[in-house]
Amino acid sequence: MDFNLVGLAAALATFFGIWAGHVSVRKIERETVRLWIPTVIALALGLGLWVASTLTSNLPLSAASGILGVTLLWDALEFHRQQARIKHGHAPANPHNPRHAKILAEYPAATTADLLDRDPIGRAYTAQEIASMKAGGR
Amino acid sequence: MNFFGIWICLITLFVIGMGFVWVIRGERYFGYLWWPYVMALGAACIVGSFFITNDWVSALCGAAGGSLIWGATELKEQAVRGELGWYPFNEKKIDPPFVNVIKKWKAPSL
Repeated sequence: MDFNLVGLAAALATFFGIWAGHVSVRKIERETVRLWIPTVIALALGLGLWVASTLTSNLPLSAASGILGVTLLWDALEFHRQQARIKHGHAPANPHNPRHAKILAEYPAATTADLLDRDPIGRAYTAQEIASMKAGGR
Repeated sequence: MNFFGIWICLITLFVIGMGFVWVIRGERYFGYLWWPYVMALGAACIVGSFFITNDWVSALCGAAGGSLIWGATELKEQAVRGELGWYPFNEKKIDPPFVNVIKKWKAPSL
């Protein structure tokens, strides 16, 4: 019996595309001063993978290229969504990055604390507890 | 020109987009402790895709499996987001079977 590997290729590209994008967007956005540079690179790589997916007759490869391409195009948008999270204090700012330092100065909600780096406690945090977490980071 | 990958990736984008919805809603009503079941469902989708002869359905099944496994790893962070007030918090969640066993396992977060 032959196994159909198209689904496995789609699954691996989906999982690793999201995972790599999730991790790299956070790291690159944290370190980069000019956000347009990684944005353009992600757009170019994403479009390149889309073109590559149309040039192969191998269906697993075509599916994987297309899916990795679309996750990279999404990552280009995510760089800017990540910056918005920094402004809202939903992701930690990097005070050594001049762009983030400016955000820390201009947006009172911004913080260097990573509020998500904790286990669930089974109840909602109080405003005081959240303020204390942010004060610990800022 | 082969447009299989382009169509599949657009469908996958929709599947990933639905992932945002079910992770948020699922965590709110059921809690993050369902993660092993979600992960098993994702693995079952991927294994099932091996036996589907139609390439489109196999690819969709595989992409759904990959997205479900990713979503399983997102549930813990989503629980914290709810507790921080970034999303509505629901105290009365529906626990999964074998909840006390699952509580002893470290929930994945990538």
